[in-house]
Amino acid sequence: MGHRQAVMGWAFAMSIAAAAWSPLQAQTQKGTLIFAVESLAAQTMDPILEARPGNATYQAAMYDALIGFNIEKGGTGPGVAERWELSEDGLTWTFHIRPGQKFHNGDPLTAHDAQFSLRRQMAPNSLASAAASFRRTIKSIDVSDDLTFRVTTVTPQIGLPALLSRAVAAEGAIMPKAYIERVGEEEFRRKPVGSGPWRFTRSVPGDRIEFEAVAGPHWRGTPHFKELHILLVPEESTRVAMTRTGEAGIASIGPESMIGAARGGLEVLSVPGTMQALFQFWGSYLPAFKDSPVANPRVRRALSLAIDRQQIIDHVMNGKASMPYPFDAFGYTEYFDAAKWRKWSDDAFRYDPVLAKKILTEEGYPNGFELNFANTALPGTQFMVDIGTAVADMWTKIGVRVKLRHYEWGSFAPLVRGDQALLAGGASMYRTVGRPDMPWRFEASFAADSEQHLIGDKTICEAACQAFAAVYKDLLAERDPVKRTALTDRMVELVSETWTAVPIIEGMGYYAINARKAGKFTAIPGRHELGDVFERIPRPDEAPWKK
Amino acid sequence: MKRYIVHRLLQGVVLLCLVGTIVFFLGRLTGNPVDLMLPEDATPEDRVSMIKALGLDGPLYRQFFIFVGNALHGDLGMSIRMRQPATEAFFSRLPNTLAIIPWSILLAMGVGIPLGVIAALNRGNVLDRAAGTVAVLGVATPGFFLGILLIFVFSVELGWLPSGRMGGPEHYVLPVITLGAFLVAGFMRLVRSSMLEVMESEFVKLARIKGLSEWVVIWKHCLRNALIPVLTLWGVFVGNLITGAIITETVFAWPGVGRLTYEAVIFRDFPLLQAIIILKSILILSINLLVDILYAYVDPRIRLT
Repeated sequence: MGHRQAVMGWAFAMSIAAAAWSPLQAQTQKGTLIFAVESLAAQTMDPILEARPGNATYQAAMYDALIGFNIEKGGTGPGVAERWELSEDGLTWTFHIRPGQKFHNGDPLTAHDAQFSLRRQMAPNSLASAAASFRRTIKSIDVSDDLTFRVTTVTPQIGLPALLSRAVAAEGAIMPKAYIERVGEEEFRRKPVGSGPWRFTRSVPGDRIEFEAVAGPHWRGTPHFKELHILLVPEESTRVAMTRTGEAGIASIGPESMIGAARGGLEVLSVPGTMQALFQFWGSYLPAFKDSPVANPRVRRALSLAIDRQQIIDHVMNGKASMPYPFDAFGYTEYFDAAKWRKWSDDAFRYDPVLAKKILTEEGYPNGFELNFANTALPGTQFMVDIGTAVADMWTKIGVRVKLRHYEWGSFAPLVRGDQALLAGGASMYRTVGRPDMPWRFEASFAADSEQHLIGDKTICEAACQAFAAVYKDLLAERDPVKRTALTDRMVELVSETWTAVPIIEGMGYYAINARKAGKFTAIPGRHELGDVFERIPRPDEAPWKK
Repeated sequence: MKRYIVHRLLQGVVLLCLVGTIVFFLGRLTGNPVDLMLPEDATPEDRVSMIKALGLDGPLYRQFFIFVGNALHGDLGMSIRMRQPATEAFFSRLPNTLAIIPWSILLAMGVGIPLGVIAALNRGNVLDRAAGTVAVLGVATPGFFLGILLIFVFSVELGWLPSGRMGGPEHYVLPVITLGAFLVAGFMRLVRSSMLEVMESEFVKLARIKGLSEWVVIWKHCLRNALIPVLTLWGVFVGNLITGAIITETVFAWPGVGRLTYEAVIFRDFPLLQAIIILKSILILSINLLVDILYAYVDPRIRLT
């Protein structure tokens, strides 16, 4: 082949490559997407210093997680690791890193970075919420080659991949090993480097964080906007006003602002399955409450039947909520027979005050009884207080004398610990957030050694408590998807029959959008935060994003 | 005068020690930051680990002595949530708050003082009542409501001004009005009563007997003397504004000390809260001392006593 032919060939190859590349370049990255949010949490760009909500809201823009999302369904999907598998003995997870990934400083992203990141999350100075659990359960993290690493656990941890996705925790964020080792932690915090579709530009404490789109295509999606600004605007009315005036393109809102936002010409986006609001009974198994009505599962069921969930959905949530699945279950929950439990829930959670009253009469409470009910709202879901108030009112209608007490979350949380003296024998509001895996959340509420220990504790663990412990243990080790689904069903069944933690509604995440500033998009089911969605949001002049 | 200043400084130090102690213990009665940082499914083990990582694991008295020891060296601790020295966080936000305070005071004085004079000159008639109504409205209208109302009218409906956040001069208008509205009433009422008192005094009667014009009597002689108590109030107001900016800064997404305080309370960030209150106390004590010194210079009777 002559020199001329070689040059022609090279030019042809380059023009093909340019043709393939340029549409992406041309169609993306223009303008600024401005997102107003109620909290920037710790506002730090170091993943080991931030909890999951902050990580999923703003850190997600610049950091990729080891495990990603299933955009369609809402469960887990490929992330930095394109696939993963569990060994025969159930103790070793092998993760295969997606090839060709790079950090914003040009360093290649390899298995060494993943190993480094996980170790950093588990370090003593880490504020990662599951750091201690990881230290206890993870025995070793070994790199096989640049694109493969193995995590060996002390006991089978079937839910480990879900824990390394942003759906559950912040621990899956991948950080640049070489860069951090070279510049040190302090410099990394000042000039953070990630591998996500957005590159960090600047952070103004208490005000904003700014990002710039990476130039080339990214496996998560190539940003349509050139810049992304995340503004901290604590007051909801101001967020809505800023979106109406165009100072922001998108704002997070609560259900109470939806109608006003829509009347003001904004579009309202609802993200399904982001949380469950529920009521739960504390210490009902304790001998001190043996003769109390709350010790009786039938009475607890009657209280559920007295709740008109549709009224709450229509009037408290302005129609943007849905009937719940059983405790901690969502349509996208993995290893869970959603269709079967949808049917069960529709019947079990129906509104039937006549039956509720009948049950109370049969159980010896024709004139009702006195019930302590602690009303509270966990951070980010303030509407729980209104739901709790509505529930208390509905119970009053079947004769229950509700002693309602309102607690700010920071004051309520300490009551849950230890002997739960101020809660035991009564009920309270609580919630679960949308997440693809079930077991860990169940353990946190129902295991005898858990903080909540709703159905038994270390000293009193009767039939339901023991059965739960057995199923939970089997579930953690079960590799077979069919058997795992069956075990999950059994666990859900066991807990549902106790009526100790009863879902009220399935909540959504809500956003007000100015159509002149951002195009149409849909969020990932169950993912309240938009950190993994920003890159897919089209500009107003572009076609709507479809999953 | 020197003795007076030294005496006031010593008083300030004692006060700061008391404030620091009270804030340290009261803050910890309201809960634990770990409860707000961990998810619902955190294990007791995760909780213990985080408490240790944050240095909240020792007995309270030991934590207190560590706090006192560090404070004596000028170290007020590390913000739990931001992992940043608390004093650094405070001073990084203070300029933002101080940027709106002078304008708010200026606005309040510019409106409140003339209103007070007008009310005093028209004691008991319609103008006095109108000025009184303005004063009552200023005090009774919650800053939160006023802020949102202003945003709705001037940003959303008229589109004249931005809804919030720091920026160019146009960003200052609504927060300054919101913050200053409360003070208008204070200045107005104080000037009114002070003017009424001064207008009855002998030197004013003498000025009138001497044939000075009513304009000179009122705006030069009366107002000048009536403003002496306002000077004292000015010090108190600056203190109130620094602490009271919480609502304005929250409504207008203004990244100042007020909002930092709010975040510290909500997230139970004890070290940050302690630092904010102690540093604010120092600031307010210094302002009050400065005002007292100025007062002593303006009114020689203070110096003599």
